[in-house]
Amino acid sequence: MREDTRLMLWRGFLILGSLSLVEAAVRRRWINPFFMASPLQALEVLWSQLTTGNAFFLMLVTLYEIACALLVSTLVGLMVGFLLWRYRLIGASYEMLLAALFSSPIILAYPIFLVSFGRTSAAIIALSSIFGLIPVAINTKSAFQHVNPILLQVGASMNLTRRQMFRHILLPAVAPPIFSGFRLGLTYILKSVLGLEYVVQVGGVGMWLSEAAFRFEVGEVYAGLVGTVLLSVVFLYMINRAEVLVRR
Amino acid sequence: MNELRQVGVAAAQRIQTPAGVQALTVIALVVVWEVIGRTGLLFAELFPSVTGILESLWVYVSTPVLIPHLKASLYEVGGGLLLGALCGIPLGVIFGSRRSFMEVMEPIILYLAVVPKIIIFPIFILFLGIGTGSKLAVGAIAAFFPIVLLTIAGMREVRPVYLDVAKTLGVGPWQTATKVYLPAITGFVFTGLRIGMGAAVTGALLAETKIAKAGLGFMIVEYYSQFRMVDMYSLLLFIFILAAAANWAMKRVFSLLLPLPRSTEDAGVFF
Repeated sequence: MREDTRLMLWRGFLILGSLSLVEAAVRRRWINPFFMASPLQALEVLWSQLTTGNAFFLMLVTLYEIACALLVSTLVGLMVGFLLWRYRLIGASYEMLLAALFSSPIILAYPIFLVSFGRTSAAIIALSSIFGLIPVAINTKSAFQHVNPILLQVGASMNLTRRQMFRHILLPAVAPPIFSGFRLGLTYILKSVLGLEYVVQVGGVGMWLSEAAFRFEVGEVYAGLVGTVLLSVVFLYMINRAEVLVRR
Repeated sequence: MNELRQVGVAAAQRIQTPAGVQALTVIALVVVWEVIGRTGLLFAELFPSVTGILESLWVYVSTPVLIPHLKASLYEVGGGLLLGALCGIPLGVIFGSRRSFMEVMEPIILYLAVVPKIIIFPIFILFLGIGTGSKLAVGAIAAFFPIVLLTIAGMREVRPVYLDVAKTLGVGPWQTATKVYLPAITGFVFTGLRIGMGAAVTGALLAETKIAKAGLGFMIVEYYSQFRMVDMYSLLLFIFILAAAANWAMKRVFSLLLPLPRSTEDAGVFF
């Protein structure tokens, strides 16, 4: 058996084993079902909400917010990163400020965005875009900064024009590290969108979870949780696969 | 005249350094904000004057108005970090001690680390109520992931040759743990604790903004709902300064205890 398959089987066994234990604990009432839904019940509620309820629509809303935030953060992040690289003094000065901003708990400033944009998806998109653009900008600057000078010399010796140099030398060289920033940014956007939806009770899946908790619908709370975890896991898997493709 | 020119040139050179540009940017931002705040040029409610914000901040610092909330938040963040470390370090050591464990567990933890921890809050409310316990739990789970992942990373850094040497010297399990593993992972664990603290602050305070009876996060939302923007801005500033100071203090203490670890991958994603 291949090593990868064996590891996958072990992971599957571990996850299914843990879920079976929880299932048994809830069914045998070792855990009060008033507080905890069994995994099967959660999946059942999730399925019924996806097929007959509005969970599918809410997932689309979440995906829309993620896509908008990603678009804004990619465009602005790439531009800012390029400028930080192009103008060294500005780059050296603002990279540290951006890193400091990134490590501060800026998500707590969400009420400012609610006042500015109203209690709408726009507030979530705006704040999440900030989360996404900082890693994109920092990685873009770093990517351009660390292009192998030999590649540039080869380009110069072949008398490439500035445009050809950018298209055939710089762009392929910077794509993988920029994609790493993009991946990091997307991960932050995902976390920020889902977290803010829950806290602010606006938008998609996060709002569903919050409303279910408010109504004390235990089955729906766990279904929402499973939905959010699945969405995060699927997203991360897709990003990881895309990164492998870009790095090839 | 010549001296004046020299002073001017020296000042210009000083400004043309990263620190100079940073200082200039901060000053310019403060001045522009103050002008907007005083003149009401742009959304008077949204941009209160900087002096107003600083006055409000002074009230927080000089009076006991925030003490009960600060206590609640410190309890949740400190307790969360402690609980996260108590679970994360031993589990990181266990998962990192064997290659097979690491290969099975690490991807599962990495995938779970990306899930926003705040969404588990309703489950903690079900089990622990809306008191400080549920926020402490969110802080703990937020701190757990960077700590466990960096402990695993530290365990991975232990070179097999060190273990072989220890075996050749007939060293027992206790000595192997304290003389080989501990020095290798301490730097990583410290970094994990520092990042974990940031995660615990964000997790616990964000949970406070959702449902709470006390805490700094609770106060932010209180001010927001009463539209006391000046107080809200100053409280946010107070939290940012506090978080930065705690981060700096931890960094300083750990750097005194140990040199920096050789590799500290960006674990910010696990916040």
